[in-house]
Amino acid sequence: MVLVSAARDYVNRMLQDISGMKVLILDSQTVSIVSVVYSQSELLQKEVFLVELVDSISKSKESMSHLKAVYFLRPTLENIQHLRRQLANPRFGESHLFFSNMLKDTQIHILADSDEQEVVQQVQEYYADFVAIDPYHFTLNIPSNHIYMLPAVVDPPGLQQFCDRIVDGISTVFLALKRRPVIRYQRTSDIAKRIAQETSKLMYQQESGLFDFRRTEISPLLLIVDRRDDPVTPLLNQWTYQAMVHELIGIHDNKVDLSSTGKLPKDQQEVVLSSEQDAFFKANMYENFGDIGMSIKRMVDDFQQVAKSNQNIQTIEDMAKFVDSYPEYRKMHGNVSKHVTLVTEMSKIVGERRLMLVSEREQDLACNGGQVAAFEAVTNLLNNESVSDIDRLHLVMLYALRYEKESPVQLMQLFNKLASQSPKYKPGLVQFLLKQAGVDKRTGDLYGNRDLLNIARNMARGLKNCSKSMADSSSSCDAVVIPQPQDVVIFIVGGTTYEESRSVALQNASNSGTRFILGGSVVLNSKRFLKDLEEAQRIAKSSTNVV
Amino acid sequence: MATRNRTSIFRKYRDALNSVRVPSSLSPSTSSSGGGGGGPVIELASTSLLNPNRKYSPLSTEDPGNSSKGALTVGLPPAWVDVSEEISSNVQRARMKMVELAKAHAKALMPSFGDGKEDQRMIEGLTQEITGLIRKSEKKLQRLAAAGPTEDSNIRKNVQHSLATDLQNLSMELRKKQSTYLQRLRQQKEGQDGVDLEMNLNGGRSIIDDDNLDDMVFNEHQMAKMKRSEAFTVEREREIQQVVESVNELAQIMKDLSVLVIDQGTIVDRIDYNIQNAATTVEEGLKQLQKAERTQKRGGMVMCATVLVIMCFIMLVLLVLKTIVF
Repeated sequence: MVLVSAARDYVNRMLQDISGMKVLILDSQTVSIVSVVYSQSELLQKEVFLVELVDSISKSKESMSHLKAVYFLRPTLENIQHLRRQLANPRFGESHLFFSNMLKDTQIHILADSDEQEVVQQVQEYYADFVAIDPYHFTLNIPSNHIYMLPAVVDPPGLQQFCDRIVDGISTVFLALKRRPVIRYQRTSDIAKRIAQETSKLMYQQESGLFDFRRTEISPLLLIVDRRDDPVTPLLNQWTYQAMVHELIGIHDNKVDLSSTGKLPKDQQEVVLSSEQDAFFKANMYENFGDIGMSIKRMVDDFQQVAKSNQNIQTIEDMAKFVDSYPEYRKMHGNVSKHVTLVTEMSKIVGERRLMLVSEREQDLACNGGQVAAFEAVTNLLNNESVSDIDRLHLVMLYALRYEKESPVQLMQLFNKLASQSPKYKPGLVQFLLKQAGVDKRTGDLYGNRDLLNIARNMARGLKNCSKSMADSSSSCDAVVIPQPQDVVIFIVGGTTYEESRSVALQNASNSGTRFILGGSVVLNSKRFLKDLEEAQRIAKSSTNVV
Repeated sequence: MATRNRTSIFRKYRDALNSVRVPSSLSPSTSSSGGGGGGPVIELASTSLLNPNRKYSPLSTEDPGNSSKGALTVGLPPAWVDVSEEISSNVQRARMKMVELAKAHAKALMPSFGDGKEDQRMIEGLTQEITGLIRKSEKKLQRLAAAGPTEDSNIRKNVQHSLATDLQNLSMELRKKQSTYLQRLRQQKEGQDGVDLEMNLNGGRSIIDDDNLDDMVFNEHQMAKMKRSEAFTVEREREIQQVVESVNELAQIMKDLSVLVIDQGTIVDRIDYNIQNAATTVEEGLKQLQKAERTQKRGGMVMCATVLVIMCFIMLVLLVLKTIVF
């Protein structure tokens, strides 16, 4: 509940002290931040009768001085410019400015300069700069995610922007929790090191006053790891509800876009999958596909019973009862049809792409089996006509990641076969992946202990690969066992997956005394991971051409 | 959770910059801080009726002559805000009456020596008043809707949604209270009637058993009992009829309202979906307007008019030529 309730509290505080009709003005990032934790009807209860984006609101010329404007923006250059223009020609009675992160003095100066009409009543920093999609899982929705795979020299300003956004997001998570953490990072990753150092500088030097909270016995722990340390998880097919929907269809800010499945009525083309608002989803989001089917069948049976009793209206009392229970009936109907549509669509995709078969092989590649058997299995599936191109690519990648060193000749064979069969395959993608995330680049044994939490725990216990990064202590590598922290925030540069958030949630539910929070620059599925790889490969190629 | 207030720094900068700027107005009253400066303050007289959590009262407005800074002119809200305020005050009044109704229900259900007719009348009156208020508000609610994808229409739509939710909650509460009251009433009455019916049956059986001699006496007894139970039934039917009528009315209102109310947890309850929608409708509205402009420009009328004018000129020229030549 931690992340969602923190974000909700911030929004509540913004709106509660301002009376009268309000308009809420957001930017494209804060729209996501607010939409996942606050609903339109709750806004209406708080008398917010209009919600606009800051860049589109300047186009309108109507003056609405009976409304009070509540701005909630990220303190970026563009937003400050938009604000300048709007403060110079104010359309609303009062303006209350809330920023999701720390303002620089120059920015405050610019705003004060343009506020000639003195419409601004307050300027506050409310630190909600992360998208809280689940109680213990947040993301930052960074569009240029692929940049973490490129060396710094390729695009220094882009990389700086990427790191800044991550530092901003992580620091607000800790400000919302009111704690200052001990920071650790994955030693083999340059970008993790860079982010850790910048975060440490921010928390312990630049804004140390802001972060100076009451010290508890055990500080929380911030772990910064690199996605390339575990490239296998985003490539696997998923079979638990939330992860599966994201893998096969795609979830963005807890919304699923079903418009590509066709022939759906307009109001069902996009649906909401939020554990906060949907009790059935909350109970079943981590269950596997077979159990989901059973639960849905039960839900449909319950619903049919209710529907039947509703049809059997004979007396006035029945009619009155029907009208009473109609809103709930309608809600139930909507919910049932949403889940049935999702599961039907996923079953269709599973059938079309033979995912049962493919997934079996994938699991073998990821876990057990010897090299020879794996090679045969992959070759068979490559020859199988009904397996789609994208799944073939996955299989070859998984094989390459596991058996990179063992038999290069056979690996080459697979590459050639893949290139010859899939016309859209960009040559060299698998090799690029190996260059990024091959055996040499990874820490630890990916296949022996492929549990994110184990890795996290090992790092927390200060075992071999530790590198402390606190400004006030020497950077010697301790072998001292550090006591078990109560809060651990794991940030994966490059993106998290819903499978990892599932392990985190299940771990937290088991009440082991340590609370884990997971965050990433995006939420990955195999499509997004491949897209990032392709984009990085393209840029790397073009930059080497230039050089 | 941590926050940081930067208002004081902001004010400091602003005041410093404003003092440097040449003051463009000489009037002492400023529109600063939103508070009532020097000018007259216009507030709604009906503020007291409104729910303390809902303040639709406009900001303190000032005389147009006073606002020398120009851009921020009179801040009177548009007319539809009055309608929405009427509706919310109706809701408030209806809520107070519901509390009274609950008390009246409780009193009527208590066993008493009196006839209970007065209580019934009060209950009827209150129920009708509340239903009337809800109906009136619902009619006014329809008036709030406006055409056109402007920002103002978005606000009106949202205000409509919010008030519709309130009205629907109110009507559901009313119906729940009514149905529980009716149920308990029936239980009570049935208790009485059950005894009566029993006696009736016994009376009936005893008729069959007895001789004709006793017929007359028993008939009278039986007739009296039947008349009484008839009166009861008629009375009960009337009451039930009334409740059914109000249930029907409320059902109708609920049907209308349910179209306006947002289903929680669905996609239409998402802020980003509504922003997207508003953006696309505004874009589409713009496209429609542009298309209309184009068709109008290209329109038949304009063509005809220009053609006719040209023809007129040609005819004029021909006429002049004719007179010159001939």
